[in-house]
This record gives sequence, C-alpha cells and structure tokens, in this order.
Amino acid sequence: MEEQSKQVLLKLVNIVKEFPDRSGRGAVRAVDEVSLDIYDGEFLTLLGPSGCGKTTTLRLIAGFEMPNQGKISLEEKDITQQPPNKRDMALVFQNYALFPHMSVFDNVAYGLQSQKMPRAQIREKVNSSLNTMGLGGLGDRRPNQLSGGQQQRVALARSLVMEPRILLFDEPLSNLDAKLRVQMRSEIHRLQRSLGITSIYVTHDQVEAMALSDRIVVMNKGKIEQMGTPEEIYHYPKTRFVADFIGRANFLPATAKAVTNGQVSLSLLGKQIETRAPFEMAAGTEVTAMLRPEALLLRKDASLPQAIIEQAMYLGTEIEYLINLDGTTITIADNDPRRQHMFAEGETIGIDFIPEAVHLLPE
Amino acid sequence: MQGIRNNQQVKQFRALLKDPLLLVVLLFLIFFVVVAILLPILSIVRESASDDGRPLFIRYLSDPVYQGIIWNTLILGTLVGVIGTAIGFLFAFVQVKLNVPFKRFMHLVALVPVISPPFALATSAIVLFGRSGSISRGIFGVRYDIYGLDGLVFVMTLSFFTITYLNLRGMMEALDPALDEAAINLGANRWRVFRTVTIPMLLPGIASSFLLLFVEAIADLGNPLVLGGNYEVLATRVYVTVIGLYNPTGAAVLSIILLVPSLLVFVVQRFWISRISVVSVTGKPTGTPQTIENPFVKWGLFAAAMFVCLMVVLLYGAILHGAFVNVPGVRWDFTLEHFDFVINGIGSQAMRDTTVLSSIATPIAAVIGILIAYFVVRKQFLGRDLLDFGAMLGIAVPGTIIGIGYILAFNTPIMIGGVTIIPKLTGGQAVFGGALAIVLVYITRSVPAALRSGVSSLSQIDPAIEEASVSLGADSARTFRRITLPLIRPALFAGLVYAFARSMTTISAIIFLTTPQTKIMTQQILNEVENGRYGNAFAYCVILVVIVLVAIGVFYALVGTNTGAERRVKGR
Ligand SMILES: Nc1ncnc2c1ncn2[C@@H]1O[C@H](COP(=O)(O)OP(=O)(O)OP(=O)(O)O)[C@@H](O)[C@H]1O
Ligand SMILES: [Mg+2]
Repeated sequence: MEEQSKQVLLKLVNIVKEFPDRSGRGAVRAVDEVSLDIYDGEFLTLLGPSGCGKTTTLRLIAGFEMPNQGKISLEEKDITQQPPNKRDMALVFQNYALFPHMSVFDNVAYGLQSQKMPRAQIREKVNSSLNTMGLGGLGDRRPNQLSGGQQQRVALARSLVMEPRILLFDEPLSNLDAKLRVQMRSEIHRLQRSLGITSIYVTHDQVEAMALSDRIVVMNKGKIEQMGTPEEIYHYPKTRFVADFIGRANFLPATAKAVTNGQVSLSLLGKQIETRAPFEMAAGTEVTAMLRPEALLLRKDASLPQAIIEQAMYLGTEIEYLINLDGTTITIADNDPRRQHMFAEGETIGIDFIPEAVHLLPE
Repeated sequence: MQGIRNNQQVKQFRALLKDPLLLVVLLFLIFFVVVAILLPILSIVRESASDDGRPLFIRYLSDPVYQGIIWNTLILGTLVGVIGTAIGFLFAFVQVKLNVPFKRFMHLVALVPVISPPFALATSAIVLFGRSGSISRGIFGVRYDIYGLDGLVFVMTLSFFTITYLNLRGMMEALDPALDEAAINLGANRWRVFRTVTIPMLLPGIASSFLLLFVEAIADLGNPLVLGGNYEVLATRVYVTVIGLYNPTGAAVLSIILLVPSLLVFVVQRFWISRISVVSVTGKPTGTPQTIENPFVKWGLFAAAMFVCLMVVLLYGAILHGAFVNVPGVRWDFTLEHFDFVINGIGSQAMRDTTVLSSIATPIAAVIGILIAYFVVRKQFLGRDLLDFGAMLGIAVPGTIIGIGYILAFNTPIMIGGVTIIPKLTGGQAVFGGALAIVLVYITRSVPAALRSGVSSLSQIDPAIEEASVSLGADSARTFRRITLPLIRPALFAGLVYAFARSMTTISAIIFLTTPQTKIMTQQILNEVENGRYGNAFAYCVILVVIVLVAIGVFYALVGTNTGAERRVKGR
C-alpha cells in the first residue's frame, strides 16, 4: 500500500471491555487498552488464541458491546455510543446466523428492505449478488436445504449486498471442512480485492490470516502483541509468543558480542554471524535467536555441530525432523524436492542454517 | 469489586434507555406487573396486617375449627399431589417405555381435562357416583356419599394430572437411553434399573409435579364448593368469609395463611428444583429407549392406565349425555332445552360475556407473556429477575386470593395528587360493570404460561440470528417482528391456546368480581349446580368446550404452529 492512500477509516483508542466473572463479584478484562487504526480498503485480521478477546473486539466495533472505556470513531466521527443498526458495517457470523424461516432470497433482501429500497431495485441487487456468489437458482431454498459452503455464501451475500463501509468477519470458515475452507478462503480474498471493501477478520488460524491479510494484529490476553504485514509478523516477531503462534519456531540462546550501527555480531551454532538488532542491546546482552524450521539444514559434514535425529516424518510437501542438539529439541523442515532420501532416526548429523534468516528476540 | 456486576447492569440499562421503544415497552410491562399483580397482593398483605387484621391471625390459628380447615387443606393437597403424580407418572411411563396399543387414545384422554371447567368433573361425579348416582346406585345399588375428601381427591386428581403427565413425559423422553443401556450392561435387571437409574433421574420432575399438584389442589375453589360437603378447606372458607360474612379483613387474613404454603412451593420450585433438573437432563439422547417386555408389568400398567382413561371418558361422557336429557340421573328423556337456555335464553349473556372478555384478554396476555420472556432472556437490566418473578406470581398465587386482592385494591379509584390513575374496577358502579377487572384477572392468570413457553422457546434461538438482523440495519422493533416473533410462533400459539382455555374455565379468581352487568359462564355453571339444575350446567360445559375448541382452530388458522424453519420434506 502506498503512503498517500493510507486513509484512517476506523480508529480505536484505548478500548477497555470488562465482563463480570463467574462469581459476579470480580471482572474479566476481555479487551485491555486496545488502540488500533484501520485504513480504508485494507484487509485486517485479528489473530490470537482462544479467549484472547478477538470476538469481543469485533463486537465492540460492530456495536454489540459497549466499551467500559475508550473511543471508537469512523471517518473521524465518534461512534462509540452509536447503536449497531446505525453503523455502516455488516457482520458475517461464525455459524452464519441465517434467518431459518426465510428463503435465501429473503435473507439477502432483508437488509435492503430495512432501508426501504424500492422492490424492483432490491430484486435486481439480490439476484446479481446471488449470481456473483454462485448461488443463482437457489433463491427459493430455505437455509437448511443448503450445504455448509452454500450457507456461508448466503451469509456473505447478505452482508455484501448492503455495500457496507466495513465488512466484519468472525471466524467465518471455522465450520467448514478443510477443503471447502481453502476454497472459500480464496473466494473471500478475490471478492475483497475486487470490491476493495475494508474488512476486519477474526480467526485463530494463522495460515488463513496470512493468506488473506494486508495486516495482521496478533492479540494475547486482551492486549495487542504485535501489528504488521504477514511477512513482518512471520519473519520479525517481536515476542516469543508471536513467533510461536505464527508457525513453528526454534529458539536458541545467544550472547551479543559487539553492537554497531544497529547491527549485532554473535556466534550461533558454531558460526559467526552479523544481523540486525531489532531492539536496544549492547555487547554482552543475552538474547534469543529465532530460526524457522525451513531456515535450518541438515548436512553430512563433520565440521558442523553434530546432533541426533530423534524423529523423522515424511509429510509429502516436506520432511519434518525433530533433532536433539545437546538436550534441546529443534524442528527442521526439509522441503527441497530434489532431495530423494530421508535421514534415518537415530542418525548423527551436522546442523547448518541460513544466517540471513536469524531474527533476535529479547531473552 | 462487589459493585461490578451492578455497574454492568446499570450500563446495560443505559443502553436500553437509548432505545426509546424498548424502554416504553419495558415500562409498560413493569406497570402491568405492578398494578395487575403486585398491587392486589400487597393490598391483602396490608389489610391482613391492619389493626383489625392482626388479632385475627391469632384467633384463627388457635381456633380448633380453623385448625381443622388448615389440616383439611394440607391433607387434600398432599393426597392429590401424591395420587396425581402417580397417575401422571403412569401415563408418561406407558407412553415412553411400553409398547402397547391405544397410546394415542390415552394421550388424548389425558389432555381433555385441560379445556373443561374444573368442576365439570365434580358435577359429573355426583351424577354418576353420588347418593343417587347412575353407577353407584343404578348398577351397584349403593348409596355412596361422594361428598368430602374421597370425592374431592378422586375428581381433583383426574382434573389436574395432565400437567404432571406432560412434565414427566418430557423428562422421560429426554433421559438418555444410554444410561439404561449402561446399567443393563453392568448387569442390572430392569427393576433395578428402574429403581436406581430412572427414578433418581426423574426425582426433580416428580418432586416438582407433586408440588404443582399440591398448589393446584389447595388453591382450587370450584371442586370443594360443589363436592366438599362438610369437608371445608381454606379456599372455600375464604369464599364464605367474603360472600357469606362480608368480612374482607378476615378473608385477607385467611388468604395470607393460604398464601404461605403456595408461595413456599413456588419458591422451592423456582430456585431449587429447577436448578437440579438442569443438571440431571443432559444433552441429546442417543440410542433408542428400551421398551419393557415383562408381560405382567406391561399389561398391568396398561390396565391401570386404561382404567383411568375409562373414568375420564365416563365422567365426560356423562356431561355430554347429561346435557341432552331432561334431569340427569332422574329423567332420561332427550331434550334440547338446556342448550336452548344457554344459547338463546337467559343463559346466553354469560356465554357472550365470557367469550368476549376472554377474547380480549387472550391476545393481550399472550403478547405480554412473550414480551416479558423476550426481556428476561435477551436483555440485561436491573430488576430482570423481579419482573419474571412478579409475572409468575399471577399463577403462583391462588385465584381466590387474586380475586380478593382485586376487591381490596380496586374498590375505590386510585388517585395520585387528585388525578385518577386507575378508576374503580370492582363492586357497584365499577367501570364497564366490572368487566375491566375480569379482563385484567384473565390476563394476570394467563401471562405466566405464555411467559414460560416464550422463555423456553427463546432460549433455543441463537442470539446471533437477532444480531444479524440488527447488523443489517434493522432496529429492535423490526428485528422482533420479522425475526424473533416468527421463530417463536409455536410458543405464541401455545400461549394463546392456554390463555383462552384458562380464561374461559377459571372461576376462583373472578367469582368475587362478577356483577349483575357482567355474567361469567363458570359462575353460572356453579349457580346451576348449586340449584341442582345439572342439565343446564352440563350444557354450559359442553358449549364452553366447543367454544374453546373453535378458538384453538382460529388460533391455528391465524398463527399456526410452524416457524417456517422446519426442514421441508423432499419432493414436495
Ligand atoms: N458476554 C460475556 N460475558 C462474560 N465473559 C465474556 C463474554 N464474552 C466474552 N467473555 C470473556 O472474554 C474473554 C474474551 O472472549 P472472546 O470471545 O473475545 O475471545 P476470542 O478471542 O474470540 O476466543 P475464541 O477464539 O474462543 O472465539 C474470554 O475470557 C471470555 O470468557
Ligand atoms: Mg471468538
């Protein structure tokens, strides 16, 4: 995204949301001082483990919950107190929430009817929206006569037909089987890019998040851990939590030897390397080096640090090794299709890595 | 930290304030509960606690006559509770666990008592089994004195067991057959399974059935008036104290004495049993329920249930038959005189008045009940539980007490600062000849059923469906009309049917409220019975049942029982 097109559309400032806990005496902080800018036209994903407050954040944006503290504004207009039906947003629910007593057509027409749009126009819009979603001819069906994937499309069509300023999704694909999920994922991607509609998407599936998003917001215990593009989040996580949550990660202890101009030199697995210092450090600072499994290599080379292969799993697209290096278990992914053979479990082998892929975290 | 929950509720309440329509509706509902239910009850409490009232407590409670009446009431309640629960259990057991013929027939027979005036059976029992009863005297040649405890228990169990049956049947069907299978798998025989698994699992249901019947029995006025004889109970004593002795203070004191066990049961029911039953009935049953094949058990239970059915059929048959003969029990020639009296004669006013007032009350009661259910299930606000509780008092409090409460509360206009808030509703010169009070009582008595069926129906609807509607720009009124209401249509239908049947058949609550201008069928039936004109009474009963059935048909046509969400059969 170019700098000048970055118009802030939705702004969350210091949002806090508390729920009474089970005993009714204390409180659970579901959202803890969250501040967030959402740019016009972007696809933003809230990602995090179960219970981290993603849904609550989304429902605060939609207006179904009122924050205890903080301010939400849309195009610089304060909407914190605005009721949900007055907000120019449409929410796609996890379990679709289709109106079971209405036909597919009426489901999609429902929002337009609330706007008192003329009938002919509604008919035209609904039909074209159904056709776009590949639901042509199913308008007379009831939701329970559709497959899960079709129901999901109806839910999408129902929200899209409103042409809302912001489209909100709460784990819309989690009820679909694996194949269908991938298919719908690319469909949502295609639709969002072609319509350019600002979208906020909640999921706990990191692959889904990376596939769809312009930016990802990683949440943990009600707080934002990190915000950034999928590449940033994947390659340059700021915390161990983020590194761990986004894909697999190996953590190796290391000590900074010398720091100059934001570059740090250190020794890792018997190699002297130089890498970017992503945070303040000095010579002697203890740090953690993160290496993704695909950045590590196994080689029959006695000059490299030696380790024992504990487990070797053939996964088709890659071979996953768990190796034991001086008591630490390290995951290595070998996805070089040229390599025809697999190292055997119990074999002793040398470990190598790509120095450019090393990323440092605070200890 | 203590204040957080309240804080939260205050916040939610503020959110409610932002939706003026919701707020207006909520205020109306609160106003209704306060005026139509709480105010009358409070009036009784105030009257009984007055200077005249307080000494009466001591007098009544130490007087052997009154002690006897209290005993009578408790004994009657207990017997009806035990026997009625047993019969309800029997019917439920036969439906769920036995593979026998005539199950559909038994089910229908069990439903009949719901839509007939409660003392129709009492009258019929006199005609069949009384001193000159066509069965007791006619067939067996005995002069049986049916008046008193035995007759009351007989008639009341048959009148009230339906609710127990439906309750227990629902629970038995919800019991997971896998439990039975597991027990059998572990080597238990059927009897042991029944004793150690079925009964304990159903215990909350059995307890709550007993309590319901107990309250129904001690609250009932119609049957004891007709069939009590010398066996006096609190409800009849209250009635006599008002009608015969013109002593509203004494009646208020007796009402409080009657109110204590009723409310106790209601509270136990609500806060204790409902909690246990949630735990015991788990999720979706899997597997098919095993039927019982032991021929002795099977046919023994079948015979017992059929015997009860036979009794019900006999009693109702006698009503139907008696309506068409000259003097039931004495002269058996065919006549349409009684119907002529009810439809064209002096009796017709009661038929018209009752039907009109019930028709006015029914939709209002159903809508109020459903709306309260909506607020209780979907909205957070301070006093939510109180609203629910207050509305439920409409049925938890015995009808006689509600009636006296109305007399005490509304015999004079209620004014605030010289402005009439509520006009005089009861007694001479009451507005609309007392009709407004009667309609209010009908509503009060019917709201709880609509409320409960609304609550259970609403709790099964995913709130996300309503949120989806709001998210698509619909306000709360539109969401309720287009989404919520259609989805709870079966509950609305049930609420309407119940409200109408309840209104048409109720007597205890309105017996003090009828005026010469407003005549009510149940009261007329009672008059006819007391004057020995059984034929007219039976004709009234038959017509009442017909009116209720027609009304059910009308509700079905207007509202229906389908939400439109049911799975459609393929190929249609
Ligand atoms: N209505 C509510 N009342 C009380 N607590 C709530 C409510 N809604 C959410 N919470 C609590 O707030 C926290 C965050 O919940 P939230 O639903 O936002 O999590 P989530 O990130 O969406 O999780 P998941 O991936 O499981 O959907 C949880 O601890 C949850 O128990
Ligand atoms: Mg969630």
